[in-house]
Parts: sequence; structure tokens; C-alpha cells
Amino acid sequence: MISLTSPVETWAHRVPAGVKLAALSLATVGLFALQDPWHLAIALAAVVALVLSGGLAFAAEAARSLRILLPFLGLIAVWHLVTGQLAEGLAVALRLLAALSLANFVTMTTRLTDMVAVAAWLLAPFRRFGLSTRALELSVALAVRFTPSIARKGGLLTEAWRARSARRAGWQVVMPLAALAIDDAEHVAEALRARGGVEPPEFTG
Amino acid sequence: MERNLTHIALFAALIAGLGLIPKFTLAFGVPITAQTLGVMLAGTVLGAKRGALACLLFIALVALGLPLLAGGRGGLGVFASPTVGFLVGWPFAAFVTGLIVERWRGNLALVSAIASGVGGILVLYVFGVLGMSVTLGKTLPEAALLVTAFIPGDVIKAVLAGLITSALARSRPASVLSRG
Amino acid sequence: MLQLRNVSVKLGGVEALRQISLNAGERRIGIVGRNGSGKTTLARVIAGLQVPDAGSAEIDGRDMARDRKAALRSVGILFQNPDHQIIFPTVEEEIAFGLIQLGRSRAEAAREVQTILAHFGKSHWASAPTHGLSQGQKQLVCLMAVLAMRPALIVLDEPYSGLDIPTRMQLMRYVDEVEARILHITHDPESVRHYDRVIWIDEGRLRADGTPSELLPQFEAQMRLWGGRDDLSDLAG
Ligand SMILES: Nc1ncnc2c1ncn2[C@@H]1O[C@H](COP(=O)(O)OP(=O)(O)OP(=O)(O)O)[C@@H](O)[C@H]1O
Ligand SMILES: [Mg+2]
Repeated sequence: MISLTSPVETWAHRVPAGVKLAALSLATVGLFALQDPWHLAIALAAVVALVLSGGLAFAAEAARSLRILLPFLGLIAVWHLVTGQLAEGLAVALRLLAALSLANFVTMTTRLTDMVAVAAWLLAPFRRFGLSTRALELSVALAVRFTPSIARKGGLLTEAWRARSARRAGWQVVMPLAALAIDDAEHVAEALRARGGVEPPEFTG
Repeated sequence: MERNLTHIALFAALIAGLGLIPKFTLAFGVPITAQTLGVMLAGTVLGAKRGALACLLFIALVALGLPLLAGGRGGLGVFASPTVGFLVGWPFAAFVTGLIVERWRGNLALVSAIASGVGGILVLYVFGVLGMSVTLGKTLPEAALLVTAFIPGDVIKAVLAGLITSALARSRPASVLSRG
Repeated sequence: MLQLRNVSVKLGGVEALRQISLNAGERRIGIVGRNGSGKTTLARVIAGLQVPDAGSAEIDGRDMARDRKAALRSVGILFQNPDHQIIFPTVEEEIAFGLIQLGRSRAEAAREVQTILAHFGKSHWASAPTHGLSQGQKQLVCLMAVLAMRPALIVLDEPYSGLDIPTRMQLMRYVDEVEARILHITHDPESVRHYDRVIWIDEGRLRADGTPSELLPQFEAQMRLWGGRDDLSDLAG
């Protein structure tokens, strides 16, 4: 499946994923601790410089993923213009832009496999409490395997609906889609058992 | 064991799939995402524990960098955006929804709709409003005010979740694990 | 040696199998029968995925439903629909899975995956996403995944349905070369005409059992006879 990792290879792609994630966590906590719009403006400038260090194409891609903030930025603008607390509004907007850009930067420069490795490392201690990393691995693989197939079936169902109706399909296809997901779950459970199940029998020698 | 695991994974995939179907709109042509409907169904169909785990799995995949949220969004940025609470709250929403359906053995359609309302709206909005309040620097009542516009759409989804769950139970009686 | 004794299975109120008994050790066995006659159910019983409600099913004296460890080495199953069998997002993961289940290390499994892909001339498929494959390609991946585990007996549930003629011929060629014993479920008499033995299942019962040359003409005559009628509207149960 496509991931959000940027195909534009930057220097940050080579930084270990764990380091990037730790730095992101610290920086995000820091951003929420800052209140002064000037400090936040400096922080945002630093983040922008970081993103630009990946090149223009990379930065353009990063900017596109900020679009989801537009309605919120508009909202903040209206709200704080009305209440007159402009400094607070500016701080909130700058913080949002910086935090989101930074988080996206880490996602864009970290390969899925590296992310998974960090996640596995973080979860390792929980094995002692009965967490089956094998079951976890399998469920991730299954979800990734079946997402495109469910989306495709959803598309086919909407098409089948449209072929026989003047109105657009909507929630009506959710029920057959859920039924298909349930059927798939039953079939794959059997396919798993056919090849030894989640916890395979021990083979020694 | 295998069935639990595959149901959890397939519902995570279902929630993802509901966000990926092109030009998919719920009732009244409002382009609201069907993904929270998937969260409600995870609760009503799978029950509390499996439903919550399906949502948790989905969130983990988003965090790892897969663009599974409606509109192809994903990655760590989602967790820094104002709507973070509405995502992080999913497992809790599905858990409460599932718990109600498991415990209250009334008419499935009605119970599922009410359970989806309690879990998928009440519980979820608590998380959502908290997230908004922190990220947007607003007080809780102010943040709550900002999201009231979305409640009618979610009420429709809860009703649909009830109808879909009972339709599933009719077509595949064994499939509604929460009542199994 | 496969041994079924008075196997009966009820599925959701339907008697899918009724009192089936048979011993089978031939290298190539075909199973024919109409839609809904119980072929898939029989395959699932043989693979140890369905516990019979009555009777017993064993391979080499072992109950495949109980002894899953022995089952992994004794019997592999190719499902009727490859979409029901594929668990992983990529071809190599799919094939490696069964090997890891058998206790191979990841490195060993990866090597064996390469070997089997190369054997079928499909080395370039390794990292291909499974959901993007065509029906025939999926069937082949499923076949490779089963073959990689080297079970002594392989149950094929209509492996050629939905395939075009060249794809079917290729897959048939692969299947004919397989060393393991094969139990092949099909609607199509042609694909089992050269087999050692054919078993005909009808309404959950064993209707006939013999060599292809004696049994298939009977089967075809009966199918043509039924084909002239309209019994699609009859519901079982
Ligand atoms: N899960 C189930 N629940 C209820 N009935 C079932 C189930 N699976 C199969 N059956 C019934 O059992 C009977 C045998 O089904 P089976 O799938 O074994 O047939 P088949 O010979 O493989 O058919 P086909 O050629 O269509 O694949 C059918 O009447 C079917 O309706
Ligand atoms: Mg069948």
C-alpha cells in the first residue's frame, strides 16, 4: 500500500526513526509550553527552514498536507478578531502550523518499515504481559491486505447501485460492505488455521 | 483466536475502506465521512473488546504513516491537528458502544442505535472537545460550541448503525459477535 | 493414506455430508459433483478444518482436526476462491507465511520463497502486491504457497474456475508435475480424465467411485439429463 513517505529522498530520511520520533515528541511538548507569539513565530520559522532543507518539491508536498488546517485557521481568525485577543489567536495559529508541519515532516521522511521497527521496539516490554507480537504483526498485515480490497468492493457496490438507480448510493452500501468484511474475516480465519493458526504448533527439528 | 484476530483486522480494514470509497456521501448529500459509522459498527457488531481493538489497530496504522483517514490523510500530523480527539477517542467510543450492546439484550436495532449514540457521539465528543480545547487554546464550553454543528450528522449515523446492525443480524445471525 | 469413516456434517441445518466412507491412497484422485453437493465441505473435513458431526477422518491414522502439527505436513488445501486464502499484502509474505509456521527461520523461509518463485519463473513477483494480481495469478500464488509447505497430500478445490483457457492449461501443467498426492475437486470432467480414480458426490452422499473411464461417462450423462431440467429454483434443506 502507498504510504505517506515522501519519494523525494532528503537527508532526514537517513536519520534513525527512533531519534526523529523522540525529537518530535519533545518538540511538540515544547510547542505547547510556549505562549508568546514571538517565540512561536521563531519556532515556526525553524520548522519552515527544516522543511525547506528537503528541497522545494518536498516543501511543496509538505505545504499541501497543511490544507486541513485552513478551516481552523479561518475559525481562529474570526474568533479572535471578534473577541479582540489577537495575540492569543496568533499564538494558537502559529503553534498549530508548527506542530503539524513537524509531525508531517517526520512521517514524510520515515519509511514504513522503520516506523514498524520502532513500534515493535516500543511494544516489546508488553510481551511480558501477554501481548502477542505475532498476533499484532498478523493483524497489521491483514488490515493492509484487505483495505484496498474492501475499498474496491465498496466502489463496485456503489457502481452496482448506480447501474440500477438514478440516485447516488450512500449508506445503503455500508451494510453489504460490512457483510463482505465479516465473510472475509471468516474465510481468512480458516485460511490461517489451514496453515497453522496464529500460534503455530511448535516444530522442533 | 483466529476468528477474533481476523474480525479485528477486517473491521480496521472496513473503517479504512469506508474512507477510501471515491465520492461516497452519507445521507442528504452531506460529504461527511462514513468512517465513524464504521467505528460504531465495530462496537455494535464485534462487541466492546474486539471493537476497541479494531479501532486501535486502525489508529496504529494511521500513526505509522498510512493514509487511511478520509481524504487520504494519515501520519503523525493527524495527532497534532485540532481533530486529534475525534480519532484518539475511537477505541473508547467503540468500547462503550459494544459494552451497551453486549449487556442490554433488547431490540437489536434500537439498542445498537442508542449504544452508537452514547459511544459514538457522547463518549467520542468528550475526547474530541478535549482535543480541540487543547490544540485551539479554547475553554471546554467554547470548544464544545465549535463542534455542535456536527452532531445532527452523527445522530443520523447512529440510527444507520442500528439499522445496519440489525440487517446484518438478519442476514448472518452468527456474524454479530457482540450478541454471540 | 486418507481414511473417512461414516463422515456426516451438518451446516446450519443442512446435511452437507451424509455417511461418507472411503479409503484413498492413489496419487491423483478427482472429486466431481454438482453445486452444493458437499465437495467443499468434504475438502474442509479432509484438511482438518471442519470437525465431522459423526464419523472420523484421518490421514495416516491421525485426526487432522486435532493434530494440527501433523496436519501442516500431511495436507495442504487450495481454497475455491483465492481471495479467501491470501492473507498478506505481498506475494513473498504470503508464501513465506506457511514456511515460518512450519518453524523455518525468516532467512530460510525467504530463500525457499525465492526457490519456488524461480521454479515457476515468477521471481519478479516477490514484492508484488497480492490484491493487484489477476484471478489466475492469485490462484498460482496460492498454489505456490501450498506447494512451498510440501504437504504429502494437496486438496485442490476447483482450482481452475474462472480462468481462461491458456491460464488453465498452464496451471494444469503445474499441477500435473506436482509430486505430492492430489485430491482435485472439479465440475469439469476434462481436468480429471487422466487421473487414477474419480469420486462422485451427490447431495452429500458418495454416489459413485471408480476409474475415470467408467465413472465420467455416467457423470456426464447425468449432468446433461439434469441440465435439461429447471431445478435451480429448488432450495436445499
Ligand atoms: N456455512 C454454511 N452454512 C450453512 N450451510 C452451508 C454452509 N456451507 C455450505 N452449506 C451448505 O452445504 C451444502 C454443501 O456445500 P458445499 O460448499 O460443500 O458444496 P460444493 O459441492 O462445494 O458446491 P460448489 O460446487 O457450489 O462449490 C450446500 O447445500 C450449502 O448450501
Ligand atoms: Mg465448493
